[in-house]
Amino acid sequence: MKDLHFFDANCRIGNDLDIMPKTAELLSDLDRYGVERALVRHNAIRWGALPSNSQIAEMVREDTENRLVGVWCIMPDSCGEIPPPDQFFKLMKENRIGAITLSPFEHRYVPRHNVIGKIMDAAAERKIPVLLDAFAEKWNQLYDFMEEFPKNTCIYTEACGKWGYDRQIRPLLDTYENFYFGTAGYWVQDGLAILAKKYGAERLIYGSNFPRYNHGCGMMQVKYSGLDHESVAKIAAGNLDSLLKGAQL
Amino acid sequence: MKEAIWEKKGSLAEQLWNTGKLDFPIYDMHGHMGPAYGIYFQNCMPADMVAHMKRIGIKHLVFSHHETLTGFKPNPEVVEICREYPEHLRMYAGIIPQRTEEIKRDLALFDSWKPYAVGLKILPIYHNHKLSDKEYDYALSFADERALPVLIHTWGNAPECGIYETLCKYPNAKFFLAHCCFGAWEYAERCVKETHNNVWLELTAVPGERGIIEKLVGMVGSEKILFGTDLPWFDEYQAVGGVLSADITEDDMRNILYRNVENILGKDW
Ligand SMILES: [Zn+2]
Repeated sequence: MKDLHFFDANCRIGNDLDIMPKTAELLSDLDRYGVERALVRHNAIRWGALPSNSQIAEMVREDTENRLVGVWCIMPDSCGEIPPPDQFFKLMKENRIGAITLSPFEHRYVPRHNVIGKIMDAAAERKIPVLLDAFAEKWNQLYDFMEEFPKNTCIYTEACGKWGYDRQIRPLLDTYENFYFGTAGYWVQDGLAILAKKYGAERLIYGSNFPRYNHGCGMMQVKYSGLDHESVAKIAAGNLDSLLKGAQL
Repeated sequence: MKEAIWEKKGSLAEQLWNTGKLDFPIYDMHGHMGPAYGIYFQNCMPADMVAHMKRIGIKHLVFSHHETLTGFKPNPEVVEICREYPEHLRMYAGIIPQRTEEIKRDLALFDSWKPYAVGLKILPIYHNHKLSDKEYDYALSFADERALPVLIHTWGNAPECGIYETLCKYPNAKFFLAHCCFGAWEYAERCVKETHNNVWLELTAVPGERGIIEKLVGMVGSEKILFGTDLPWFDEYQAVGGVLSADITEDDMRNILYRNVENILGKDW
């Protein structure tokens, strides 16, 4: 829409087991709701970082209008399953991948500095956003992770439930200035305006959690959050756009 | 990019997108109020909630106070809250099955609470009961005699909560199944179709779930679906936005957001 642009931080496509939407269906939904762009990760990361990384790159390529930016999953430093950071980031750039994520519990490792410190430190230095979508309801582990990696730019994209979790999320917003909160599933009455007034609209990022949720409900919530147009525009697209542009791949 | 739903000239989606309101009253048939133990709400007191309702044009919110359902605030105190906002607030009297004397005392007063009290709220699972338990008989018979709305909390475990059997026993009460037996959609369908034409599905927590409103409309028809939000749990713009985001007709949307309620309770209540 001309009055407001949306850049969705929280979309998943592809899956080799379930029948899940792929690129065309996502683009069709983005059109239906007027979402210009989306940061998209593989829906089956849990089944393997390497195949899902390569498949998400292929699916992003199917979008010929450059509306999709991909997310790649990292792995522990010691086993050499992914290339060293500089090479990994170079490949990300070549494949239109803008952010990283991790799935430590499914991939069975401990997300500590002596396990993934090399790639996480390099990502922090280059300001490459880290999508946090593996810690649903694992608040202790998420708190430990943030303590371990306080300098990384992190975007919380769990949508682990649609009941507001201010008591869990506010301490992270209080403590880590690079911690950004994705709006998917956070549907508390007036909640976005309250968080934006406390932490700044810069800390909130629109996300739909496609394909579980549609894009439209959250768009309407952002647009009529009660915040001024400038703040709404930041949440809708501006903040994510700035983070991805600021990443040195 | 193709035309978005919000850009379609003359549509409800365009209207809400551009103005923040719709050209009809919306009835929110499932609300709460006040602090709740498992969640933090900054804006859960009446003034903030009513301000939020007015912004989007909710004509009435029918709510049950959190502290009534958790045994702290008796129903008569909630009537007084409604009296402060007579244009906007209506209530369900909370029914706690363990408190049989309180149920009788409250229901004896029920008629004097009009127009504020419009029905009863029952949360079987939260109160460690099945809907079919005898502790609910008195309240359900009361509702059945008066053809009152009864909002029943349901979720995917509804089939184990004695819901369907109980609905069959009371042909006159108007049963609203909160959350549409979330996930147990076929069971919800059966509750609507195989009872006495007195059961509606209430949408709280469903709007925004991709494709689910469409599925429910296909199963039971939009005439059997009511709008609700659990306010202050869900933002009205998210929930109304979720209804308008669904791939259903505008007639369906109008049925859900106001027509069905006006058919059940009239326009002036
Ligand atoms: Zn409720």
